[in-house]
Amino acid sequence: MPIHEKSLIRPENLIRNEQLIIDGVDVSGDWSTFIAPRVITDYNEALEPEIAALPGGEHIHRCWQCGSCSNACTVNALNPDFNPRYWIYLIRLGLESELLRDKDIIWQCVSCNKCTHICPRDVDPEGVMKATARWLELKGHTPPSPAMEFDNIFSAQVITTGRIEEGRLLRKFFAHTGQKLTQDWLLGLVRGLVMRMPVGLLLRLGWAGVRAPRTRKWASTQRAIEEFIIEQEAAQRVALGLPPGETR
Amino acid sequence: MNDPVLVLGGGPAGLSAAHALAAAGQNVLLVDKENVLGGAPILSGYAKLVPSGEWAKDAIGGMVDRVRADPRIEVLTGERVMRFDGNPGAFNVALGSGATRAVSAAILCTGFTHFDSVNKPEWGFGTYPDVVTTTQVEQMISSGRGVHCPSDGRKPARVAILLCVGSRDRQIGREWCSKICCTVSSNLAMEIREEIPECSVYIYYMDIRTFGLYEDKYYWESQEKHHVKYIKARIAEVTSNGDRLIVKGEDTLVKRPITIPFDLVVHAIGMDPNVDNMTISAVFDVQLEKHGYLAKASSYSAMCGTSRPGVFTAGAATGPETIDDSIAQGQAAAMAALASLRTGLPQAAE
Ligand SMILES: Cc1cc2nc3c(=O)[nH]c(=O)nc-3n(C[C@H](O)[C@H](O)[C@H](O)COP(=O)(O)OP(=O)(O)OC[C@H]3O[C@@H](n4cnc5c(N)ncnc54)[C@H](O)[C@@H]3O)c2cc1C
Ligand code: SF4
Ligand code: SF4
Ligand code: SF4
Repeated sequence: MPIHEKSLIRPENLIRNEQLIIDGVDVSGDWSTFIAPRVITDYNEALEPEIAALPGGEHIHRCWQCGSCSNACTVNALNPDFNPRYWIYLIRLGLESELLRDKDIIWQCVSCNKCTHICPRDVDPEGVMKATARWLELKGHTPPSPAMEFDNIFSAQVITTGRIEEGRLLRKFFAHTGQKLTQDWLLGLVRGLVMRMPVGLLLRLGWAGVRAPRTRKWASTQRAIEEFIIEQEAAQRVALGLPPGETR
Repeated sequence: MNDPVLVLGGGPAGLSAAHALAAAGQNVLLVDKENVLGGAPILSGYAKLVPSGEWAKDAIGGMVDRVRADPRIEVLTGERVMRFDGNPGAFNVALGSGATRAVSAAILCTGFTHFDSVNKPEWGFGTYPDVVTTTQVEQMISSGRGVHCPSDGRKPARVAILLCVGSRDRQIGREWCSKICCTVSSNLAMEIREEIPECSVYIYYMDIRTFGLYEDKYYWESQEKHHVKYIKARIAEVTSNGDRLIVKGEDTLVKRPITIPFDLVVHAIGMDPNVDNMTISAVFDVQLEKHGYLAKASSYSAMCGTSRPGVFTAGAATGPETIDDSIAQGQAAAMAALASLRTGLPQAAE
């Protein structure tokens, strides 16, 4: 749906009175159906640099609003309100309140990068979506998105062990996001694996799942990576005007 | 030896035509109504030119010096042509001073007139001192004074550049695109950002026409390196809240009205037909095209020709034109004039 067809009456302002009679006149129904003033009275020039300070958002200022990204977008095809071009514009103008109206769908980007591959200006819209989700999270507007949770668990595992073990990763992620391990698609996947994989490999896979092997001499690397991450996160928080803080 | 060729107008086109003729051994009579040569870039004090990045006073000044030093070119400034009659190869020119001269051909390089923003009163020029034109900003930069608000001399924190002022507007009978103002505006926006890094610059546009190789060099560069913002809106009105200017319009991408405060509003003024064109048309008996520029003969058979044999034209006299193209056309007109003198008038391509 093009933006101008978005309902101008904000549903959150509606007051519904199932039964309201004033002085004998029945005035039941929707109240507060007025359209709030939509005039843009100033630009907030702080928002774009904040998004640009987060990984993936660096090239947002290149966007010339051609709409290729939204047209190509996997999620937009399912939900027309998911509109990367529009959000990029809101960020560039600093229309923060407008952006926040969509805070609960921005994180739904599936990182398919169709937008990235079609963007004529190399804006990296997928990166901008990521940066925006991260911004919403850091500013406390949204809880960490499932994608962000996954990234955190993934990197935590790499950092502590120096390698990645998919079974453990999935188990942790599912536990963290309250998903069952017995989902049909997953059971199917495991069944398929068990049937097709050589026994030796299967054994190794199982063993790795239990033992959680580590890369040898990993400690110093681990320390360096951890320091780097702490540094980066502090820098991001400062760029957003937040105290350097204690994350992770 | 032929009588000299008359070159009327000493801007980029005329300077180029005069130099090319002289270089080919032809004597030239260069007449300009102003007291200095150089045309708009010198008369209006442009700063750094598109696309060379050279200062106008160096680049065009160099062309002026070359013409001034050429013994084959006689320069008459502060002078006009009152009458022009005769036939190809043997024309007579009556000058404003009363003198008459014999010339063999004429090249009209009389250029354009800057659009006068007073004719768009809704955009505040003439009402608010901090509404200025691109020429004024060029002058602020070239004079060394720097970009500032004329009202109190302060450095602007936020600048709006309005494109297409005096172009592409049926309301004021201007149905042409002035071609260079998008690029010039991107260039000025970058210069403002360089001089005042904490100043935000917004360009309000209907289309961005930074044609050809100006696309990445100006439009993209201004966005990518200098963070100039482009808003798709034709501004409806510029007013003031007593403190700052207020720009009103509709942001067509989010379909929302805007009333945004600015410190400095810049009109990207267009290139009108020269106000003298009616007179020039009468004196030289050449036709004007429908917008009021000098009508060109067919490019395919009579490049740089006019409706009158033996009278040629080049540059912004024929429509909005860039400096580089005006220079190229000046040289092409010189070639056409020389060819007509050596071999008689070319018959239209048959
Ligand atoms: C703000 C602004 C910035 C610009 N910046 C650039 C830029 O960076 N790069 C670029 O490529 N282009 C630029 N342009 C366009 C540029 O000004 C023109 O391309 C160029 O001036 C055209 O040259 P010309 O010789 O045809 O005409 P003009 O420069 O107009 O010269 C015409 C000459 O003829 C004389 N004349 C006029 N009428 C008569 C008459 N009746 N009798 C005798 N003499 C007469 C005038 O005095 C003048 O000297 C800019 C334009 C504007 C408005
Ligand atoms: S990466 Fe995200 S924004 Fe880009 S096309 Fe895929 S779902 Fe849409
Ligand atoms: S495809 Fe690129 S340039 Fe076009 S709207 Fe999307 S991000 Fe902007
Ligand atoms: S060049 Fe750009 S600003 Fe100038 S008239 Fe054309 S579109 Fe408008």
